[in-house]
Amino acid sequence: MRKAWAVIRREFLERVRTKWFLISTILGPVFMIALTVLPSLLAARSGRASDVVVLDEGSGALAERLATQLSRGNRFRARVVPTTAGGRAAAVDSLTAEVQARRLDGFLAVSGATLEAGIVEYRGRNVASIRDMALLEDGVRQALLVERLTRRGIDPALVQEAQARIDLRTSRVTRRGATGETGVATFALAYVVGFVLYMAIILYSVNVMRSVLEEKQTRIVEVLVSSMRPFQLMLGKVIGVGSVGLLQFGIWAAAAYAMIHYRGALFSLFGASAAAGRVQFPAVGAAMLLVSIGYFLFGYLLYSAMFAVVGASVNTDSEAQQAQLPVMMLLIASIIMFPAILNEPGGQLSVSMSLIPFSAPIIMPIRFAAAEVPARELAASFAILAATTVVVVWLSARIYRVGILMYGKRPNLRELVRWARQS
Amino acid sequence: MTNDLIVTLNGVTKRFAGHVAVANLSLAVPGGAVYGLLGPNGAGKTTTIRMIMNIIVPDEGAVILFGDDLGGRHHSASIGYLPEERGLYKKMKVRDTLVFLAEAKGVGRALAARKADQWLDRLGLAEWRLRKVEELSRGMQQKVQFIGTMLHEPKLLILDEPFSGLDPINAQVLKDTIVELSRTGTTVIFSTHQMDVAEKICDHVCIIARGRKVLDGAVSEVKRVHGGTHVAVAFEGDSERAESLIGDRALVAKADDYGVYAELALSDGVEPQQLLERLVASGARLRRFERIEPSLHRIFLDKVGEHQAEPERREALRA
Repeated sequence: MRKAWAVIRREFLERVRTKWFLISTILGPVFMIALTVLPSLLAARSGRASDVVVLDEGSGALAERLATQLSRGNRFRARVVPTTAGGRAAAVDSLTAEVQARRLDGFLAVSGATLEAGIVEYRGRNVASIRDMALLEDGVRQALLVERLTRRGIDPALVQEAQARIDLRTSRVTRRGATGETGVATFALAYVVGFVLYMAIILYSVNVMRSVLEEKQTRIVEVLVSSMRPFQLMLGKVIGVGSVGLLQFGIWAAAAYAMIHYRGALFSLFGASAAAGRVQFPAVGAAMLLVSIGYFLFGYLLYSAMFAVVGASVNTDSEAQQAQLPVMMLLIASIIMFPAILNEPGGQLSVSMSLIPFSAPIIMPIRFAAAEVPARELAASFAILAATTVVVVWLSARIYRVGILMYGKRPNLRELVRWARQS
Repeated sequence: MTNDLIVTLNGVTKRFAGHVAVANLSLAVPGGAVYGLLGPNGAGKTTTIRMIMNIIVPDEGAVILFGDDLGGRHHSASIGYLPEERGLYKKMKVRDTLVFLAEAKGVGRALAARKADQWLDRLGLAEWRLRKVEELSRGMQQKVQFIGTMLHEPKLLILDEPFSGLDPINAQVLKDTIVELSRTGTTVIFSTHQMDVAEKICDHVCIIARGRKVLDGAVSEVKRVHGGTHVAVAFEGDSERAESLIGDRALVAKADDYGVYAELALSDGVEPQQLLERLVASGARLRRFERIEPSLHRIFLDKVGEHQAEPERREALRA
């Protein structure tokens, strides 16, 4: 095992010493800080409201109501410009010119027919802003509602009361009771966990593939396999590269912990101490951490073994690019399903995908972060993943052993099977 | 006797899809020898070496190393190996690379580092030891790789085409090192198609062509048995009077005639003495008459033949 240890050591040190490792390790926490601090900073500073005009062509009280309703939030500053049926075209032209000259952000046109038809036209520079349009639509709907009810003789004060804003406060309930976490924080945690796992598995598995290919291209592999068993070499490589991943994870986890712990200081550093209280951090328990690391380890083992086969069966980098696609697709399938899984973490799709060993390493931790997972399902998922990993590593080692010494044409699937069968 | 043989191949055959790379090859490498595996390109030299190293397994026959058939990996601590195509980890530092290669052979780190420094110093690469491999020239990289094969002080050194791509100065350094290792008891097997190199440092050779053994044995023996009898003759004035003698196939099998100088291969059973008597009798005035040894190059060409050597020439043209 001393020889495998030499391989582990080499793979680990050569990677940790690179600039790439240093930069990505530092960039991780920087990214985390940016992700938490920037939104609050932006929210605090983005003050300018959009200037809009309500072009009124005989709509009665509606235009005035609309302007008031829109100005109520701090996103819009609205005023009414009256016009007549004859002057409408000219007014639209001049307002359009105002928008083009950037003196105005946009304008709404309402008329006497608006109440019945329910059609309001908006022209502006900010139509691509989903948030602005949602607010605008909300305002228009409110104003129309109030105006319609008022005209039917209902007391405006009563309408206003019925319209009182509601605020849905979400809180996640687990077997241990309410956690006090909000839905948004839970969602964010699940998303981040899934994404980090996906990135880490791909990054380090591809690293294993590159390393295998380098040794094959330089024929160092001939020297190495004449000194140690190919399995020792492959395992040493996988463990060595994997340790780099764990180290990086460890550093990032420590940074995240420190960040949450000292968030007050962090926010005041950026002059946004008021925001610190409002930003919700999900509670990451020991169980979450354990599940993430367990699934990362086995997911990485599973995928790096497959990527090692890709590296062993090709001769050039460009061939590797092509050959890695089928394996890559297995991983990408998981990330495509992200939204569906998060919508229904306990649904049929989520349960199936967390049992399939190729998607389990990413899907199960997401589920675990987003909702309660029955212990039975967790155990089944992990057992299937572990068993598959053992089989795949064993098979990969057999193909790898033959592949690393083969040069020339890229093997097809049948040849790979023959390699695996060779004694 | 068998104990003295470091490597023995018994009727080894290896087939690849469609062709036989090595056919029924048997050879024996005595301890302490500098053993040359000679042959044109595509003769099966690399395949043979890979089978000795246990990198590929022969279809038939047996490879015996150090008296047993446990295989190259079992004896890897006693074997140093330089593969045909060269390469090292490009981004790794020279000394780290060497330490790793020695570690793969089971040498401790501290000892490996010390030995690496010694050898780097000796082959003139001391100042490069902390540089990355990719910063070195090709010749330097080749030397680094060569050092990597012997840090664990192997009893057997197997070098596949060690001289290809080396300039004359580095080739000389390599030759000197091989000779010196041989003197301290290391057995060296190397493949080459450069006969002049083999001539200078090998004491045993095996010539193979198209996967088959053409001849093998101690160089002196090979020359005696396969070389025939050669003489060099120089004439005073012209060689007119001797012309009929040189053209006589009963006496001379082959002649390289340069007018005043000729190298003659005598026909079977003809002693140089007989030719000398006839030459003197013919009245030709001799300036020199000397029995000479045939070169390995000559034997190689004669035995492997123009026909067999053909693939090599085509290969060279393509390169």
